[in-house]
Amino acid sequence: MNVTDTQNAYPFLQQLTQAFGPSGLENPVLSLLAVATQGYADETYRDTLGNLYVIKRGTSGKQVMVSAHADEIGLIVTFIDTDGFLRFTTLGGVSVTNLLYRRVVFENGVSGVIAVEKLDKPGDLSLEKLYIDIGATSESDAAAKVRIGDSAVFVGEYTETQTRVISKALDNRIGCFVLSEALKQVVSPHTLVFVFTTQEEVGLRGARPAAYALDPDWAVTVDVTRTGDTPKSARMAVRLGAGVGIKVMDRAIVIAPYVKTWISEQARKQQIPHQFEVLESGGTESGAIQLTKSGIPVGVLSIPARYVHSPGEMIDKRDVASAIALLVALLQDQAGPQIPIY
Amino acid sequence: MQEAKTKNQQIEQSKKFLSALSAGSAVSGYEHGLLEMIAEGLRPYADELKHDAFYNVYAKKKGLTGQGTILLSAHSDEIGLMITDIDALGFLHFAQIAGVDAKTLLGQEVVVHGRQATPGLIVPIPESLLSADDRKKAAKIENMRIDIGWTQDQARERVSIGDTVTLKRTVSELLNDCLTGKTFDDRAGVAALAVCLEELSKLRHHHDVVAVATVQEEVGVRGASISAYRLNPDLAIAVDVTHAVTSDYKAEPIEMGKGPAIALGPNIHPALYRKLCDVALEQRLPYQSDPNPGVTGTDARAFQITQSGIPTGLVSIPLRYMHTSVETLHMRDVVHTGKLLAYFIAALPEDLEGMLCY
Repeated sequence: MNVTDTQNAYPFLQQLTQAFGPSGLENPVLSLLAVATQGYADETYRDTLGNLYVIKRGTSGKQVMVSAHADEIGLIVTFIDTDGFLRFTTLGGVSVTNLLYRRVVFENGVSGVIAVEKLDKPGDLSLEKLYIDIGATSESDAAAKVRIGDSAVFVGEYTETQTRVISKALDNRIGCFVLSEALKQVVSPHTLVFVFTTQEEVGLRGARPAAYALDPDWAVTVDVTRTGDTPKSARMAVRLGAGVGIKVMDRAIVIAPYVKTWISEQARKQQIPHQFEVLESGGTESGAIQLTKSGIPVGVLSIPARYVHSPGEMIDKRDVASAIALLVALLQDQAGPQIPIY
Repeated sequence: MQEAKTKNQQIEQSKKFLSALSAGSAVSGYEHGLLEMIAEGLRPYADELKHDAFYNVYAKKKGLTGQGTILLSAHSDEIGLMITDIDALGFLHFAQIAGVDAKTLLGQEVVVHGRQATPGLIVPIPESLLSADDRKKAAKIENMRIDIGWTQDQARERVSIGDTVTLKRTVSELLNDCLTGKTFDDRAGVAALAVCLEELSKLRHHHDVVAVATVQEEVGVRGASISAYRLNPDLAIAVDVTHAVTSDYKAEPIEMGKGPAIALGPNIHPALYRKLCDVALEQRLPYQSDPNPGVTGTDARAFQITQSGIPTGLVSIPLRYMHTSVETLHMRDVVHTGKLLAYFIAALPEDLEGMLCY
């Protein structure tokens, strides 16, 4: 697999990661994706939840849903005090210990820093003791710039090396990137519906009604997964750069064995580097898709990522290339996953 | 109409079916291994038999008018383990699939479902390698390994990350028609469904009955949700197990051998609870009331909120030592559960709406 295949597309990943898009406010990200996919789509539309659908029609009579969530974790303002400091709560799986002295930015460009009240001991750190300082001089000064219910995201600039990328929101803009690259390459007998979903981080909310509306014959989700390759990390047999992850299980899904076999056989045939992934904490929207209506067979391609849900998430471009190649192979496969009949 | 079996014959037949089911391997998501066995047990009493893409098995028995559809469910999956890594010495690391009681795992014989079924043992990591804190605590899964007796290279030929593991345990009979083994949660329910369908072939009933062996209950009532959506029945009854009183149990007791536990509470349609109790009294079948203040941890949880909402009931077989390899129950409770369901279905009016109206 050659990294340079998609190398010229990486500036688009930079744009995607740096765009503002906490759960519920994904428009800036989805606008970028709508523009980027326009020339390759037969039809594009948004739904009530804000999900972006990009359709490429086929002739087989089968419909395949391909999903990646566009939202990122963030913070939401709950209270502005008399000195103009902002109290907040979390949008999605934000770790409180990750927050101290992080820079955040609101949709209108207002920047802030997360700080903390005096702590008697480090263990006392909790969400209630944190506040955002946007440099306001008073309550009214703050209220002129930020309102209760406004959301902010981490500041986490985009850095790229020969093989790796560090940025905020690679969870899951890298999935969106894989979908948009696959869309450009794929020639499929099936009708492909690429869905860039909303609100995954707050409970797999966008994917559920999207799957309900489409009721596809089968589905593939692309998202990030954790790794076990950093100093004294929790044990996990996924390594950065060792290939695209093929999900076996997480907290939201047990992948049907014939779907797992379908995906790993395609990877083997196309000689695409891959690794099996068992994620003991967390889940992806595949869990919501699988349980929609009478059940939808769904597979997951996982991009190994270090430091998930931090401002400095890290991925490897070789895994991204493997993911794009495998996704294209899966979507071009005439037969799809075969449900065994007993 | 076949000649009525004696009570003992029915108990013996159920024991045989349950023992076979219990010995089978079907961790949540991997229930295909049990399909044939379940089909065999239900086929004699079913008019139609099929399965879906997730291995839910549907056994349909037609009613006189077929005006309504009654869904009965018992889940076929079992709690189990999944291989997460193969270390340099060939020991297998593993995670749990659903709620395994970790402290009961040590020393267990297991089957690793790799390229072929491979026997293994769950072993502790040596105490000298544990932190001082961990030495004082019950063993944790991350401090256990599976030993299959091979080197890393040999193990890798046979086992992949993501392969499933089940406990190796055959059923034993205790005194007084009590049985002990693994996975009576909820294969005992499947055995009760077979009893129910058999009883129904001797009774007149208006509505179609679909007995579903549901999948993936232990990871979040997932098979129940998709099978109920598919059938969209007029009412649904889940059959599962519930904790029976043991020596250390202090809460209001459900007792083994005293009949099925009929659930009531917000997850349960009150008319179904009342009807099940009335039928039990009429038929002189023993039963126990089982109040559940919240949602139940059973298929009933999914049924109630599927499609436009399905009137839902729950009948549970009392069981000791749930989620261990020595689950213990009384076979009379299994048979009585099946009978109660059959008489309940036969007693349902042709027009269900009146009965289910609040």
